[in-house]
Amino acid sequence: MKNIKRCTRCILSENFPKIEFDEKGVCNICNNELLCSTDSVIIDKARGEIKNLFDVARGKSEYDAILCYSGGKDSTYTLKLAVEKYNLKVLSFTLDNGFISPTAFRNIEKVVSKLGVDQITYRPSYKFMKSLFRLSSLETIYNPRTLIRISANCNSCISIVNNTALKLALEKDIPFILAGFTLGQIPCNTIYYKNNYEFLKDTRKPILDKLKSQLGDEVSRYFEISDSLITKSGFYPHNINLLTLEDITENEIIEEILPMGWEIPKDVDGCSTNCIINAFNNHIHNEKYGYSPYELELSHLIRNGQIARERALEKIYDRPVDQIEYTYRELEIKHN
Amino acid sequence: MNNQIINTEIITKKQIKDSLLDFVSRQFLVDKEDIELDKSLIDTGIIDSMGLIEISTFITQNFNFKVSVDQMTRQNFGSILLLVDFIDKNKRFN
Ligand SMILES: [Zn+2]
Repeated sequence: MKNIKRCTRCILSENFPKIEFDEKGVCNICNNELLCSTDSVIIDKARGEIKNLFDVARGKSEYDAILCYSGGKDSTYTLKLAVEKYNLKVLSFTLDNGFISPTAFRNIEKVVSKLGVDQITYRPSYKFMKSLFRLSSLETIYNPRTLIRISANCNSCISIVNNTALKLALEKDIPFILAGFTLGQIPCNTIYYKNNYEFLKDTRKPILDKLKSQLGDEVSRYFEISDSLITKSGFYPHNINLLTLEDITENEIIEEILPMGWEIPKDVDGCSTNCIINAFNNHIHNEKYGYSPYELELSHLIRNGQIARERALEKIYDRPVDQIEYTYRELEIKHN
Repeated sequence: MNNQIINTEIITKKQIKDSLLDFVSRQFLVDKEDIELDKSLIDTGIIDSMGLIEISTFITQNFNFKVSVDQMTRQNFGSILLLVDFIDKNKRFN
């Protein structure tokens, strides 16, 4: 497994889509800085525009922003930024997918207490979540092209996070939805944006139809928003990824959040700081596509000097068998 | 790179199309030959709904107009050819 060929500068492997290596073993993405890696002009411009958006909207609703808070290091730091740097009244929202590490829950409690923000946890039926994860593990629900930086299960889970956050924002007139994504996890042209829900709904229909045909109408509750809510609220919130505006290393993020009582969970894999099912998700992605869904993100961080290459390799090769086995059992998937 | 085209006086539809194809193939790791110009990028599995956001930001950055939420429709974003028409109608020069 470890003798797979990788770029000598980043960690993209020979199985990554459209990868090519030059004579020095450097990949085409490193050579061309593809995928809109670090465009400081775009980031600077976004910084100014986001500040203006906040200045105009601050204080006009019960909450200025809802933040999708997983309890992991990145969203913890994003919450701290939203409250302390941007002075926003934040509603913290956690989706309990049934596989959140107990340490992550303690972290959430400590951090929201420390920062003095309101917190909502929403736990969809465990039975539903398990069947959703089983389905997205075993079948090809999403086009592989759209899974270059995310596993299928993460994609399913994040869709529910996004949909629930949007629902809450519309119900409570909250103008901003914040998330703790880093550049690499998302491209730099999605630092902030607004959605057209009608079009979004239209474009997601084929996937939702696939899910519904297997899991039934319950899918609607978690993945869709009623037309009446859309009409009633009459506005679309902005989605903003605040962490993308910061020039900060992983270690610096951890140093910033440790004083709030945040602890590193020991029951998750090297690529996660909150979710027990992540090890399994990466395992399935590796088996199916031959590369880790974290390669692209970590490679971006390496090129940016935000993480050492060795550390990134450690992360993707930390694949705790006990967590993978636990998930196989919980999802009732038989394997050899 | 793509930013250069905003400085030229006239942008032809061909230039818009080439610049869009460059972006889509680079950003979503797909060969240009595999992109069907008259089909939806979503229906053909090249992008998901986040990809639409990426394309609308690309348009704003390269053709100098902000895509409003109301303009993000199948009518405008339904295929590369529809996108070319949409950009051609709305593009601005510096
Ligand atoms: Zn590389």
